[in-house]
Amino acid sequence: MIRKKPRGPSAPKDHPSANETAGSLLAVLSSLVWLGVAAVIARVFGDLMADQPVEVWRTGLWIVLLWGLRATLDMAAQGMLARAADARIAVLRHEIVTAEAQAATPSALGGAGAIAALTHEKLEALRPALLRYRPARMRVMVLPPVILCIAAWHSWAVALVLLLAGPLIPVFMALVGWAAKEASARQLQEVGQLSDLLVERLAALSDLRLIGAGPATVDSFAQASDDLRVRTMAVLRIAFLSSTVLEFFSAVGVAMVAIWVGFSLLGELSWGGWGDVLKPTVGLYLLLLAPEFFRPLRDLAAAWHDKSGADAVMDEVATWRAEMRPRRLGRGEAVSPCPMTTLETRGLGHRGVVYPDIRLEPGDSLAIEGPSGSGKTTLLRLIAGVERPAEGLILIGGVPLSDETADAWRAGIGWMPQAPHFVNGSLRHNIGFGAAVTKETLEAARLTDVIDLLLRGDLTRLGERGAGLSGGEARRVTLARAMHGNPGLLMADEPTADLDPETAQLVSDSLLRFADAGGTLVVSTHDTALAARMAQRITIDRSAAA
Amino acid sequence: MKALLSVIIAISRAERVALSYGLALSIAVLVMGVALLALSGWFIMATAAAGIAGIGVLFNVFAPSAMVRFLALGRTAARYGERVLTHDATLRAVSGLRVALLRGVLMRPHRALEQLRAASELNRITADTEALDGALLRLVLPALAGWITILAASLLLWWLVAPTMALILGAGYLVLPTVIFLAGQKVAKRPARLAEAALQIGRSRMVDLVLGRDDLAVFGQLPRATRGAQDAFDRAAEARRQLDRIDRITGMLLDMVSALVTVGCLLSGIALVQAGTISVATAAIGVFAALALAEAVASVRRALTEIGRMTQAARRIGPALRAHAPQASDAPVLASDTGLEMRDAAIEVSGRPLFRPVSLSVRPGETVVLQGASGSGKSTLLLMAVGALSPSRGQVSLFGADPSRLPMETVTESAVLVTQRAVLISGTVAANLRLAAPEARDDALWAALEATCLADTLRGRGGLDLRLGARGAGLSGGEARRLVLARAILRTPRLLLLDEPTEGLDEATARRVMAGLRQACPDAAFLVAAHHAAERDQADRIVEVARA
Repeated sequence: MIRKKPRGPSAPKDHPSANETAGSLLAVLSSLVWLGVAAVIARVFGDLMADQPVEVWRTGLWIVLLWGLRATLDMAAQGMLARAADARIAVLRHEIVTAEAQAATPSALGGAGAIAALTHEKLEALRPALLRYRPARMRVMVLPPVILCIAAWHSWAVALVLLLAGPLIPVFMALVGWAAKEASARQLQEVGQLSDLLVERLAALSDLRLIGAGPATVDSFAQASDDLRVRTMAVLRIAFLSSTVLEFFSAVGVAMVAIWVGFSLLGELSWGGWGDVLKPTVGLYLLLLAPEFFRPLRDLAAAWHDKSGADAVMDEVATWRAEMRPRRLGRGEAVSPCPMTTLETRGLGHRGVVYPDIRLEPGDSLAIEGPSGSGKTTLLRLIAGVERPAEGLILIGGVPLSDETADAWRAGIGWMPQAPHFVNGSLRHNIGFGAAVTKETLEAARLTDVIDLLLRGDLTRLGERGAGLSGGEARRVTLARAMHGNPGLLMADEPTADLDPETAQLVSDSLLRFADAGGTLVVSTHDTALAARMAQRITIDRSAAA
Repeated sequence: MKALLSVIIAISRAERVALSYGLALSIAVLVMGVALLALSGWFIMATAAAGIAGIGVLFNVFAPSAMVRFLALGRTAARYGERVLTHDATLRAVSGLRVALLRGVLMRPHRALEQLRAASELNRITADTEALDGALLRLVLPALAGWITILAASLLLWWLVAPTMALILGAGYLVLPTVIFLAGQKVAKRPARLAEAALQIGRSRMVDLVLGRDDLAVFGQLPRATRGAQDAFDRAAEARRQLDRIDRITGMLLDMVSALVTVGCLLSGIALVQAGTISVATAAIGVFAALALAEAVASVRRALTEIGRMTQAARRIGPALRAHAPQASDAPVLASDTGLEMRDAAIEVSGRPLFRPVSLSVRPGETVVLQGASGSGKSTLLLMAVGALSPSRGQVSLFGADPSRLPMETVTESAVLVTQRAVLISGTVAANLRLAAPEARDDALWAALEATCLADTLRGRGGLDLRLGARGAGLSGGEARRLVLARAILRTPRLLLLDEPTEGLDEATARRVMAGLRQACPDAAFLVAAHHAAERDQADRIVEVARA
C-alpha cells in the first residue's frame, strides 16, 4: 500500500506566494491613498467655509490623480492576488485528478459525482478567500492604527470612540467564525451528496421510470435539493447576521464621531480636543475617516466567512488526502506489450482472502470458481495490476509484476469486466479507443449482427452503463473491446452471467476460439458449463481464509 | 440575452412577493446610505457655519442627529432583511429550477433517456442552475435598485441643491456605468462562455475518469483520460484569467466614473458657492451624495463577468423548462377489466422490421411468455407494450388505450416493466424498495421480499436497513434480481412485464420466485420474456418472437 505523502491541510494559507504578499501590500497602499483624497475634499470645504480662495482646477486634478492612483494600485493588487489564487487552485485540481486516476478503490468521500463536485465547484469556493482574506488581514494591521493616530492627533475623544468600538469587531468575529465553519462543512457535504444522488439516479433513469419510480425519484431529489437550500441559508444567515452586527458597531461609532464633531463646531462642546477650536476642515476630515477606520475590520469579517468556507473545503481535501487508498500498479499508459510468457502467483493474499497459487503457460485456460463475494473479481484485478496485493507475488516470466512492468503487461491483456463503464463516445470508440477496429475483432465477438440492427451502426452513442443495448449486446461490446488489438491473455469476469443461454453460448464459444487460437484465457465464473471447458480450475473459498 | 430574460422572468414569477420586498429593501439600503452621508456632510458644514456665525445656540442639532442615527441603524436593519429575503427567494427559485429540470428529463422519450450521459445532465441540473442564481442577486436586483436610487438622488439634488449638480450626478452615474457595463459584458461574453464550457467538460471527464478508471488503466487509456480532464480545467483557468482581467479593467473604469462624478459635483458646487447661489452646507449634500453612490455603481460589477455564463446556462436550460409545460389532463380512463392486446405489431429500424409482427393478448390473471432467440426483439416488444416505443405498424392496446399516447406516469400507474438491468441505488434495501412505492409500510416491504424468496437471506444481514453501495453493490446478481422483482410487485400492478426475471437464479429458486410473484398479484396480467423452464411452465400461452 502506498501512502500519499501527507501535506498539511492548511498548506494554501500558510505559505503565501510572492504574488499574494505583493498583492496584499498593494491593496494596503491603495487604501492609504484614500486618506489623501479625503484630505483634499475636507480641505476644499474648509477653505470654502473660511471664505478663502479655492484653486478649482488644481483641486479637481488632485482628486482625479489620487483617485486614479488608488484605482490603479487596487487593480494591480487584484491582478496579483488572482494569479496567486489561480495557481493554488490549479495545483489542487491537478493533484486530485492525478490521484483519482491512480487510485484503485473509491474514495470514502463519495462516488464520481462527489469527486467531480470537489474538483469543480468546491475548489472554486477557495477563490474568494484567496482573493480577500490576506489583504483584508494586512489592511486591518495598517489602516486602523494609522487612522487612530490621525484622529488622536486632533481629538482624544474621537480616538477614544474608535478605540472602544473597533476591537469589539474582531472579538465578535472570532465567535461567529467558528459557527460559520461548521455550517459550511455541513453545506459542503450536502453539495457532494446531491451530486452523487443525481449521478446515480440519472444513470438509471430510463429503467427507474419503467417501474413507476419516476415521481419518487423527483420527490427524493426535491427533498435533497431543498435540504441543500436550508444548509446554504444557514451558512448565509450567519454571515449576514455577523456583518449586520459589525455594521451596527461601525454605524454607532461613526454617528458618535459625527455628533462630537457637530457639537464641537457649534461651540457647544469644549472637551475632547487639545485646547484649540476645532476647524471645519479637521471636523470634516475626521468624519470622512471614521468609516474608513471600520471598513477594513468589516472587510476582514466578510473575508473571515470566505475563509471559513475555504477551510471547510481544505478540510475535505485533507480528509481525502489522508485516506490511505491503494494505488494501482503502473501508470495505465499505452505502451508496446511484453510477449506472453508464464504467469505465476505465489502466496497471494488480499483483504483477508488467501488465493491458491496458479501457474499458466501461454495457451492455457483457467476457470476461477467460488461463491459470490469470495474474491474472484479481486483476483482478476490483482493479476491485471489494477490493485496491489497485500501479500504475495505475481510473476510474469519469473519477473515480479511491478510499477515498471505493469503497463507493458497490461498492454497484452484483454479485459472484460462484469459491469463496464462506457466512456462518452460511440460504440466504435468504446472498442478501440480511437484506434481502428478490425472486422475480425467484431466477427470474433459476434458483434456484427448487433451493429447492423443499430440505427447509427457502430457510431451509436452508448449510455454509461450500456443503455441502448441489451445485456447480451453490451457484453459482446466488452468482449470485442477485450479482443481488440490481439491480446495474449484474456481475462473475463463472469462473462456469461445474466445472459440467456444462447448468448451465453455465443460468448463462451468466442472465448474458447480465442483459447484454441493459442491465447491464454482466465475466466471467473459461476457457469459450470463454461468452467468445464477450461483446462485448469481453481476454487476460492472465503471460509478457508487464513 | 432573450433566453436569460425569460429564465429570469420565470424565476421572479415564482418568488414574486419575496423578491419585490427584497427589491424595496435594496433600494432602501442604497437610499439610506446616500442620505446618511449627504446629511452628515450637510450637518458638519451647517454646524461649522453656525459656529463661525456665533449662532450655535440657536442651531437645532437634535433633528439632524436623530436622523443620522435613524438612517445608520435603519440601513443596517434593511440590509440584513434584504439579504436574507433575496437570497432565500433565489435559492428557493433555483431549487425549483433544478427539480423542474429533472422532471423535464423524465418526460423525454425512452431512447433519449437510455442514451443520456449522467455527467452532462448533472452539469445542467447543478452548475447551470447555480450560474443563474447570480442573475437576480448580482445583476437584476442591484441594477434596478441602483438606477432607481440614482434617479431619486438626482431628483432630490435638483430640488435641494441645484439643477447643474443634479444633471452631473444623474447623467454621470446613469450613462457612463451603463455604457461601461454593456461594453464590458460584450467583451467578457466569449471568455465567460469558454470558461464555463471548459469547466463543465472537465467535470464530465472527471466523472468518466472516476467511474471508468479500472477499465481505462487496463486498456492503457488512463494518462489520456487524465490529461483530458486536466486540459479542460487548464483551458477553464486560462479563460478565467481573461475574465478576471476584464473584470479588473471595468472595475477600475467604474471607479474612475465615481471619481469624475464626485469631482464634477465638487467643482460645480465650488462655482455655485462662490457665485453665492447656495451655501457650503448645501454644496456638501451633493458632493457627499456622489461619494455614496459609488457603492450603488460598484455592486453590479461582479455580475458583468458572469453574464456570459448566465446566458449560456439560460440557453441550455430554457428549452428543457419549456418542454415541461404542464400537460392537459386528458388521460383517458383505463378500462380495468382488459389487459394488453397487440395486433400485428412490429417495429422498424431504418425501414427494416426488427421482428416478425406479433399478435397477442394477455388478460388479467394470465401469464404469457415470450420466447425467442437473443436479439429477436423480446425486450423491444416489452418496451412497446408500455408505450416507451411506438409500433411502426399494427396496434397495441393497453387497458383499452394506445400506451404510446399516454404519459409514462399514467402507464406506470398500472403497468410495471422490470428490465434486464437490475437498477439499484446506494442506500438501504428499504429505500430501494420505496423508490417504487414511497408510501409502503415495513410489513408490506417484508411481504414483497417474502414473495421473491429474499426475506430469509436479508434477515440475517440487517434486513430492510442493509445498506447497499453504488449500483446495489453488496448483493449478488441473483439477490439484486429478486430485490428488483420485489420492488415491482410493491406497486400491485395490473400488468407486470418482466424481462428475463429469473436470470442468475438456480432452477428451484426461480420456480419459487415465479410462484411467489403470481401469489402476490393473483389478478395481474403477466407478460414475461424468458428462456427458462421456470417461467415457461407457469405460462398460459407461449408466444414466439422471431427475427424478421
